[in-house]
Amino acid sequence: MNQTISVGAPRLGMGRRLGLSKYCAIACVAFRRRYNERSVLFGRIAFYAVLLMIFSALWRAVFAAQAAGSAPPSAEFGDYVWYLVVTEWIVLSQPSLHMEVQSDVQSGDIAYQLGRPVSYVGSKLCEGLGDLALRLIVLGAAGLVFGRFFAESWPDPTQLLLAALVGLLASLLMLLCLLSIGLCALWLHDCMPIYMVWQKLVFVLGGLMLPLSIYPGWLQSLALASPFSAMLYGPGHLVSGHEPGLALPLVLKLCGWCTLAAVVMCVLERRGVRRLEVEGG
Amino acid sequence: MSKLRSPWRDNCRFAVALVGTTTRASFALRYAFWMSAGMMLLNNLLFFSTWWILMQRFGHVEGWRLEDVMCLFGISATGYGVAVILAGGLFDLSRKIYDGELDSWLTQPKSVLVQALGSRTHMSGWGDLASGVGLLALSGTLGWSTLPLVVVGLACATTAFVACGVAAHSLAFWLGRTHELSRAIFEFTVTFSVYPPSLFGPHIKWILFTLLPAGFASYLPVELLRAPSARTLLACVLGTLLYASGAVWLFNRGVRRYSSGSRFAAPV
Repeated sequence: MNQTISVGAPRLGMGRRLGLSKYCAIACVAFRRRYNERSVLFGRIAFYAVLLMIFSALWRAVFAAQAAGSAPPSAEFGDYVWYLVVTEWIVLSQPSLHMEVQSDVQSGDIAYQLGRPVSYVGSKLCEGLGDLALRLIVLGAAGLVFGRFFAESWPDPTQLLLAALVGLLASLLMLLCLLSIGLCALWLHDCMPIYMVWQKLVFVLGGLMLPLSIYPGWLQSLALASPFSAMLYGPGHLVSGHEPGLALPLVLKLCGWCTLAAVVMCVLERRGVRRLEVEGG
Repeated sequence: MSKLRSPWRDNCRFAVALVGTTTRASFALRYAFWMSAGMMLLNNLLFFSTWWILMQRFGHVEGWRLEDVMCLFGISATGYGVAVILAGGLFDLSRKIYDGELDSWLTQPKSVLVQALGSRTHMSGWGDLASGVGLLALSGTLGWSTLPLVVVGLACATTAFVACGVAAHSLAFWLGRTHELSRAIFEFTVTFSVYPPSLFGPHIKWILFTLLPAGFASYLPVELLRAPSARTLLACVLGTLLYASGAVWLFNRGVRRYSSGSRFAAPV
């Protein structure tokens, strides 16, 4: 029986040369694992539906009052609903990456994970990306259905596509922030207080529930100067504001904030690991 | 001959002692306590700022002005805060049922439900309590003349939240692993309880007085403060008691079919 065995160095692809294949594998495993946790996914979808239902009812009431003579909102009812569809899609798609890092720190698991031939932060980021990708797909599909149902109209397809693409970048920025918050557990042991404040700043200064355009002037200026507005108000405004020209500046802004967040994350990792090696967990 | 004591009074005494112990234990961790409570207070105030922004811009929503929403949020946050301080074991009740952790309590002479609920307390509840009372005071509803109604309203809100959690987590007796579902039911109730009921149609309102008791947790107590009447008082108290009795009955029925004492678990 003839059997040919090829001997020689395997051809290495670009990704393998950079060691990216193992990170891709980590992301794929996280994607599949989360896909099997259907109850969590269904819970998020149901919560998404409840929030959209409440806020569409709220905006309906505001528009009814407008008809009765109170101060008019500057956009249509459907615009506000689609704004919420996009902002809630970004927020609800985020995995609890900070909690996973905190759990590794508190249980001491981080000690043996640091010894693996992969970067700890890199592997956590890829796990988060796998999880995030699944939720963005599932909640994105659900958001389209819920948005059409509650808004009773479709937005402009180009605006929706732009908002979705920018939303992906905004989700990445949020993920980087969550990982950095999780790394704070290396010093504080419990990162929940920082997370809770950060989360509420995202809600208020990001314009999760209300567009920044209806905020009082001083608060609007403050919010627009913060990274939070780029995370939520930016993508939300793209779908509801009828200003597609804002997409490019927003992408550049998000890229800048992503770079800064990545630098902060790397600094926190380096200093945290050094602290762990010197002082122990 | 020793006097026979009523199990009801025994359980009440035991609950007070249990809550006292867990509360003292949480006060002992001073830094963690102030951090959790303070952050929750900040969290609630930042969340409430959304209503402030909305009311600044539009004045009212379906007749609900800022003071009314403060009252609604105040009742809900205070009721929730007291519920998680007194019955912090609520959050992982379904997991305990599924994992067979009721076994040790079943051998005790006191009520399993009281032991399960009082086994934990949440320090963040003090932040909810502080923000709730603060908002109630700012809404102008907190005064000597309204104090009895505020107390009744808060008692109903607390009871409704605890009962909702007990009913939702008791599903684990029949359905097995329901941790996510039970938590979702409880969270939906809390979410709905901070939005004016006039936003919702009759079908949703029906759900909010049955499956998700936000109606008893905040809508009726607020109605009691906004427009006091004997009818609202009766509806609030009787409705909450009925719902709570149903939750306790469901839990007790579940305990009768609970049979996970033979489960083995190995720590990995």
